[in-house]
Amino acid sequence: MDIISQLQEQVNTMALLALNTFGTLQRDAPPVRLSPNYPEPATNPSSAEETLDIVEQPKMMSTALVQAAKKFDTLVAALPLSGEEAQLKRIAELQAENEVVGLELQKQLEAAEQELKQAQELFNLAADNCLNLKKPD
Amino acid sequence: MATGTSSSYPPPPPYYRLYKDYLEDPESAPEPPPPVQGTYPLFGATYTTDVVLPTLEDQGVRQLYPKGPSIGITYASSLFLVDFKRELTSLNRELQLHILELADVLVERPSQYARRVEDISLIFKNLHHLLNSLRPHQARATLIHILERQIQQRKQAIEDIKRRREEAQRLLKESLQNLDGHLA
Repeated sequence: MDIISQLQEQVNTMALLALNTFGTLQRDAPPVRLSPNYPEPATNPSSAEETLDIVEQPKMMSTALVQAAKKFDTLVAALPLSGEEAQLKRIAELQAENEVVGLELQKQLEAAEQELKQAQELFNLAADNCLNLKKPD
Repeated sequence: MATGTSSSYPPPPPYYRLYKDYLEDPESAPEPPPPVQGTYPLFGATYTTDVVLPTLEDQGVRQLYPKGPSIGITYASSLFLVDFKRELTSLNRELQLHILELADVLVERPSQYARRVEDISLIFKNLHHLLNSLRPHQARATLIHILERQIQQRKQAIEDIKRRREEAQRLLKESLQNLDGHLA
């Protein structure tokens, strides 16, 4: 895939990661205590792996986000940018060279076709002479 | 295809009768209409033939990166005074900072998320707009690549033809010598 499409994909990936991060954290967050007057939020005896997830997931998701951002930076650094005028100049140069080379090619082609015709005529003559040497009975 | 209940498609326009004698006399039939210029309506929506990327202001989105100095130059060239790499990396940093801010706001003042989310989406829109405005540059680069390849192919063909011609000459000389050898 070309680099601009890769960059666009990377931007979309970052948006998706941010979305998933916030969505997961909001969904899985344990209830929080709002004021000292309210009683403690009832902590259901959650299984060990759930608490592990709640601790591990933010770390994994944030590392994924940061890695995606780093990849975006490396892709941006790899952009082969050059000025517009430089490109237009190069295009004009290449067009001129293309014309010259095209004319040369056409010249060669015509000369080759000419030689081919000559060779064919010679071959026809030779073949005729060969055949005429055999006296018809 | 169209059932009895739905409306059928309109019949084709009756211009086909004008082309009855086209095979005998190509001049008797009318010319095709010229290509459309400017804007045209299609199925109720207007489209334009001038394919240019609309600026962010046209879409009502604030532009976060600086434009080139506008001293009466066209949009396209003013865009190329934008240092794309620098702007893209700084927008990336802004994005990360805003994501962190959103996380903080959600912890402390959860009801004020809307402004932060708007900022993040603004950054994304700017990012995509910058990337889209790189496409004309990519198109020119592709054109350069195609021209270079075509020149190389033509040169290759020239070399090929030269070689074959020399080969043919050599064969003819050889065969001439052989024939002379035979007759002599």
